[in-house]
Amino acid sequence: MFQLIKIEWLKIKRYPAFWWMFSIVALTYPGVNLIIGTIYNHTLVRNADKKEALSQIAKMLFGNPFEFPETWHTTAYFSSFFISIPAILVIMLISNEYTYKTHRQNIIDGWSRQQFITAKMMDIVIISLITTIIYTLVSLSLGIYFDDGHLARWAEQLQYIPLFFIQSFAQLSIAFLLGYLIKKAFIALGVFLFYSLIVENILVSYLKWKLQTHAYKFLPFEMSDELIPVPAFAGGFGKDMRDAYEAALSAIPMQLVYTLIFTSLIWVLCYKLQEKKDL
Amino acid sequence: MQQILSVNNLSKQYGKIHALNNVSFNVPKGCVYGILGPNGSGKTTTLGIILDILKANTGNFLWFEDNPQNHKTKIGSLLETPNFYHYLSAVNNLKITQAISGRGNENDIDEVLEIVNLSQRKNSKFSTYSLGMKQRLAIAAALLGNPDVLVLDEPTNGLDPVGIAEIRELIKKLAQQGKTIIMASHLLDEVEKVCTHVAILKKGNLLVNGNVNEVLANEDIVEVNASDKQTLIQILNNMSGYTKLVEEKNAIQLFYPQGTAQLDTINEYCFNNGVTLNMLTQKKKSLEAKFFELTNN
Repeated sequence: MFQLIKIEWLKIKRYPAFWWMFSIVALTYPGVNLIIGTIYNHTLVRNADKKEALSQIAKMLFGNPFEFPETWHTTAYFSSFFISIPAILVIMLISNEYTYKTHRQNIIDGWSRQQFITAKMMDIVIISLITTIIYTLVSLSLGIYFDDGHLARWAEQLQYIPLFFIQSFAQLSIAFLLGYLIKKAFIALGVFLFYSLIVENILVSYLKWKLQTHAYKFLPFEMSDELIPVPAFAGGFGKDMRDAYEAALSAIPMQLVYTLIFTSLIWVLCYKLQEKKDL
Repeated sequence: MQQILSVNNLSKQYGKIHALNNVSFNVPKGCVYGILGPNGSGKTTTLGIILDILKANTGNFLWFEDNPQNHKTKIGSLLETPNFYHYLSAVNNLKITQAISGRGNENDIDEVLEIVNLSQRKNSKFSTYSLGMKQRLAIAAALLGNPDVLVLDEPTNGLDPVGIAEIRELIKKLAQQGKTIIMASHLLDEVEKVCTHVAILKKGNLLVNGNVNEVLANEDIVEVNASDKQTLIQILNNMSGYTKLVEEKNAIQLFYPQGTAQLDTINEYCFNNGVTLNMLTQKKKSLEAKFFELTNN
């Protein structure tokens, strides 16, 4: 296993797109969260001056969503919007192998067919770890930056770190599957973005509001999106919203099970195909 | 004698097309085995199957009389095109080859790049290489770590005449060292110069295989000519011993069963019948002639 990771690292470390992805994620995660945190704070402070009841309530109920321990949840939620950045890299890494025909050469040189897939899975584990580490650092920094006396509660809600990792791994696995099946980077990327950003959102709304079913929770991306529900402050006020939020939180364990099963199926499919097909 | 590779009844279909049809052959240790055939005859399909990147529909194959996966790393291969990471240099590409195959070590990388004359450009990116340089790098990758078996698909593709001669010498040298070399090619001249065994494929069928001398030399050909060609043909028609007479533009070819042609007898016969020959030579049938004979009908 370690040998496989070492070889993948030989491929990745001089690949410019990898460092681009790394830099963009390292800029986007703190940037986006900082902007949202700052806007929220400003709105709250300005409205508080006007003594608007709503903002008073908001502050009472939620505090600052980027304070500990809420920062773990809030940062995870906003960072997870940008999964398409590492997804581009994942698709490039597999389609490159097809373009250069190294998916054949690696096997000719001595890897078994399964080892090739295992190596690619390791790539995705590593990329998911990198995004999780960046998210953790950003979340921690914002928690300290926006702190208003809650530092002692930093260790609450740490479960969002593994949840963020699993969500990244699950969604990047879908990206890998598309790249693996479609082979052409631009088509795979197009399908990934079009489906994840447009088609699935339409399906979710349709199933949720029009048909009033819970089937939307089984859609490939929504399944793992539900691991990190909309944070309380962004959900709105009122008893209905509070109930919905609580329900979403308590649904996390089941969504985790669905996600793990679905992601395992993706990889089983990749291994089976790799075993049988002509490379 | 140990069989390096045994191929048993391999068949491969792409939809309705039979790319390979029940092909079987053995590659003994230490031979240079040439797989020949026109374009689309199944050469690369055969090599693809024995290198585990294509799946045969039926049949099987053994490397070293054992499960192929156990022996992959003893085989240096070049299949179809040079496959490398475009954004990496020659050295960094070979580091990956070395790590995956476990053949050789980092010092061997410089050595194989020296053998194929790429040392000067070893730190340039693969994407900047010419076709010939890419092919040289692929040969270097196959040679890395001095493997006992080499599988080479069109090894001289894209090389200049000097490069072709160098590779031919290299293959001869490796064969002398006792390496087993399996080579696919449509350059017959090349194969004739280096191979000890050949297999000829046509449309997925194995037409003939075995020792190169047995495959080629099954007939003696004698070429004769005289200033009065018509008279010569008349008297030759009365001569016995040969199986076939073919009139060419500048000569008359007489075909004899292997080892039965005797030039002095022919010369004497013609002279006694009043014709003086101005040409009398014995030819070995070239691989090219044999190839056309086998693949054209």
